[in-house]
Amino acid sequence: MSNPTKVRPSEVRSNNPDTGTALLRVRNLRTEFKVGQDSVKAVNDVSFDVNPGDVLGIVGESGSGKSVTARSIMRMVRAPGEIVGGSVEFNGEDLLLLPEREMRRRRGSGVAMVFQDPQAALNPVMTIGAQIIEALTLHGTDKRSARRRAVELLDQVGIPDAAVKVDQYPHQFSGGMRQRVVIAIALANEPTLLIADEPTTALDVTIQAQILRLLLKLRTELGLAIAIITHDMGVVAEMCSKVAVMYGGRVVEHGTVEQVLRRPRHPYTAALLAAMPRLDDERLGQPLPAIPGSPPDPSALPPGCAFASRCRFVEDGCRHDIPSLLQIGGEGQLSACFVAQRGVSIDVEPAPDQVPAASAEESRPVETVPALEVQKLRVDVGSRRRGLLHRNPPVYAVDSVSLAVHAGETLGLVGESGCGKSTLSRSIVGITPVAGGSVEVDGHDVTSMGDEQLARVRSSVQYVFQDPYASLNPRRTVRQSLAEALSLRGLRGAELEAESHALMDRVGLRREYLDRYPHAFSGGQRQRIGIARALARRPKVLILDEPVSALDMSIQAQIINLLEELQRELGLGYLFIAHDLSVVRHLSDRVAVMYLGRIVETGTAADVYGHPQHPYTVALLSSSPTPTVEERTREQIVLQGDLPSPANPPSGCRFRTRCPIGPLVHPERTICAEQDPELLPRRNTQTAACHFAGELI
Amino acid sequence: MTNIEARSADLRTTRRLNPTVARYLSAFRRPRGIVGLTLLGILVVAAVLAPVLFPGGYDNQGSTSLTGMSAAHPFGLDEFGRDLLTRSVYGLRIDLSLIFAAVPLSMAVGMLLGLAGAISERLGAAVQRLFDVIIGFPGLLLGICLVAIIGPGWLALFLTILIAGMPTAGRLARAAWLAQQSREYVLAARVLGVPKWKVLTRHIVPNAMDSIVVNGSIWMVIGVYIEAGLSIVGLGVQPPTPSLGVLLNNGLRFVTQAPTYLIGPGLILVLLAVAFSLIADALNEAVNR
Repeated sequence: MSNPTKVRPSEVRSNNPDTGTALLRVRNLRTEFKVGQDSVKAVNDVSFDVNPGDVLGIVGESGSGKSVTARSIMRMVRAPGEIVGGSVEFNGEDLLLLPEREMRRRRGSGVAMVFQDPQAALNPVMTIGAQIIEALTLHGTDKRSARRRAVELLDQVGIPDAAVKVDQYPHQFSGGMRQRVVIAIALANEPTLLIADEPTTALDVTIQAQILRLLLKLRTELGLAIAIITHDMGVVAEMCSKVAVMYGGRVVEHGTVEQVLRRPRHPYTAALLAAMPRLDDERLGQPLPAIPGSPPDPSALPPGCAFASRCRFVEDGCRHDIPSLLQIGGEGQLSACFVAQRGVSIDVEPAPDQVPAASAEESRPVETVPALEVQKLRVDVGSRRRGLLHRNPPVYAVDSVSLAVHAGETLGLVGESGCGKSTLSRSIVGITPVAGGSVEVDGHDVTSMGDEQLARVRSSVQYVFQDPYASLNPRRTVRQSLAEALSLRGLRGAELEAESHALMDRVGLRREYLDRYPHAFSGGQRQRIGIARALARRPKVLILDEPVSALDMSIQAQIINLLEELQRELGLGYLFIAHDLSVVRHLSDRVAVMYLGRIVETGTAADVYGHPQHPYTVALLSSSPTPTVEERTREQIVLQGDLPSPANPPSGCRFRTRCPIGPLVHPERTICAEQDPELLPRRNTQTAACHFAGELI
Repeated sequence: MTNIEARSADLRTTRRLNPTVARYLSAFRRPRGIVGLTLLGILVVAAVLAPVLFPGGYDNQGSTSLTGMSAAHPFGLDEFGRDLLTRSVYGLRIDLSLIFAAVPLSMAVGMLLGLAGAISERLGAAVQRLFDVIIGFPGLLLGICLVAIIGPGWLALFLTILIAGMPTAGRLARAAWLAQQSREYVLAARVLGVPKWKVLTRHIVPNAMDSIVVNGSIWMVIGVYIEAGLSIVGLGVQPPTPSLGVLLNNGLRFVTQAPTYLIGPGLILVLLAVAFSLIADALNEAVNR
């Protein structure tokens, strides 16, 4: 995939007249946002090249300037943002100097862009055909041939029945299909460079794998160069030939993917790679080497290196001067770090200064009564809305799910969005009504959620929400939020005060922060507050609904470590819900895989990840991108199609419409359509609901 | 130096202020808010001090009538030779007393009714249908019906504004309630076991207040128009008591003989409406910042 011989000359910053073969040359690009008297330097002296056939990954966290860089190249920075310097040479001409009319002609036909949210990128009141035709006719194609070309394009991006689908509206497409349509529109005028801004972030892993495959296929077929902006090192490893790592508005490291992932030369890249949990993690039960602090606020960048305050290698000079991007290591690998430039090796793993953590294999005292047990739970999300006379048929988003969480243990629950994992967790805490089955807390049946039962649930099961921005009332201080929870335990006055201090200490926040409002905190800090609030009721079980997926990469490890520490000290049981398989692997003792309202596989984390029995689990693991170059060669199992609707689930096995070993591939396997497979014991600790379990590994 | 101290003292107090209140107050640091509030302040002071400013009362008849504007009588004299400026300021008293009594009450009652859905879904739906009926009547028609029942006067005007204003406040409160219910911090409070009514007062009402406060300041203007409208057709405050609407009603009758009759009371009415409109604008900007 990569092509090391094509790597650009090392000195990217030089104004070498030999322009080489670069399709896009970005030099010293600066974009600022004027806020009152100040200007926020969102993109600060960024330079890189994209050669024909290259796939460049621009990685960074929120606020690193990666999206503004992309918009600056397209000259689509909106006021108060302004490009204040540098050049963007595309095919040898500087886009920044073109008049707006000329620039408009380049957009789409020269450089095209794919945005993150396919929902927002398509006009809901126009058929997709009309939208592609619009893109074509704007650049001078006549109407009749435009329609023919539209069908052709849809076909090219892998939309089945393109001739029919061309007259449909965006809402008739699934998320993955919409993103294909957006790509088709981008390709309409045969651009030579495609900029994709987080093209798969809004999608599930199995769909993400489809879209990434499509992009790579288009690159080979059409000879496209692609610049992909992402926060996910895994996507970079899977897709890209070169990578530029951005931090605080600057490129801090640049090189081929092999160079950067094998031997990062900037402490930020190195620390980030070390802090990410991995599918093949051997550090189970140990804290991750988290990066302290949080990403810098682009409006208050420090005078020196932006990473200095979080860096293990920091020296005095780092705080005053900004290091420039210079070649280190192999040809084409550049790093903006004084320490690395002096020849100090930036090792990936920091020295182990952490406490030797309790081994994950350490046998926990097995309690006979689980702290939380769910049996044959069904949740109906369809028939709630009723008209005057008719009642909608039930739609079971959760259909006969059984699971148990013991104290001190983590059960990981994985599955794509729409599989019912959030509905399940919300019905356990009584937010969503239960249609059948039972929920038991500490051995007491609480299914009917009467007053007394609710009180029991609430004092033993608490919930941590995904979005730390939405789960705190913006008008209440931390003190008020915690007091609300603590007063329910009957605490008043000095006792309450002492307890809120203890909670703040517990989650690693300073006591002085108690009187602040949520807007004064970063995402990671807010999530700590959310955890403190849940702990205020002294629960035995925490339901963690994607607690790290809304956080920046460098913050995730901090929260994961905090959760592990709390579990160790307080003996909490976790029901950990996530779509990120590597995070689940790191935290979980046992794993349950959910598909369309059913659990399809359970077992210890080691067994499920090591020897998945259900083909869906295999596909999930295979689709999940890992940030290692070694994994690039592995055979990927990419699932076809989308998650069916729970309102009308397929007969027999619910997975059969996408199954790589089911009737799609083996038409003789009619049993899959006729018989609903039961969740039966298979290998070691595992159970799987598949007629042909264990066939696909 | 003192400036800095004053500012830091100011900071200290604002920090202690409830953020909701602080946001509303920030509206009055904007140009529109300042102008609107000043204008309203002048009108309110004039209205409150009317007996001091015009100790003779609003009913002093003179020998001449329907004169134009003059230095002695800036707004002129009416058909009975009464000073129109005096009558306009006394009229303003009536108008302000009406809207300051009726509009806040209307917003509060409307909001409470709008939140009825929190008690039971059916009750909430029923209240909304009641609001549909009220909205079905134009404000004036509603007023005429009320006058027919209880007779013309301050009370009828008060009730008209009260009832006509409720549905919008109720709708806004219900919309906010519905939207807030699925917010994660409301779910979080429910999972913690916070009682329903506390969730409502702590998390939902403060977040519903924004639109209702802005709506309330718009209704102040509408209240003035309802008063004027009903008085113009003779169903408002009864003579000899003046209100802005009554004065306009009388002025219309003499529009051929004394065309300047309408200017004074009309000006006061416009100033009042402009003051409230500016305040509504500033509040709206402040809460949607």
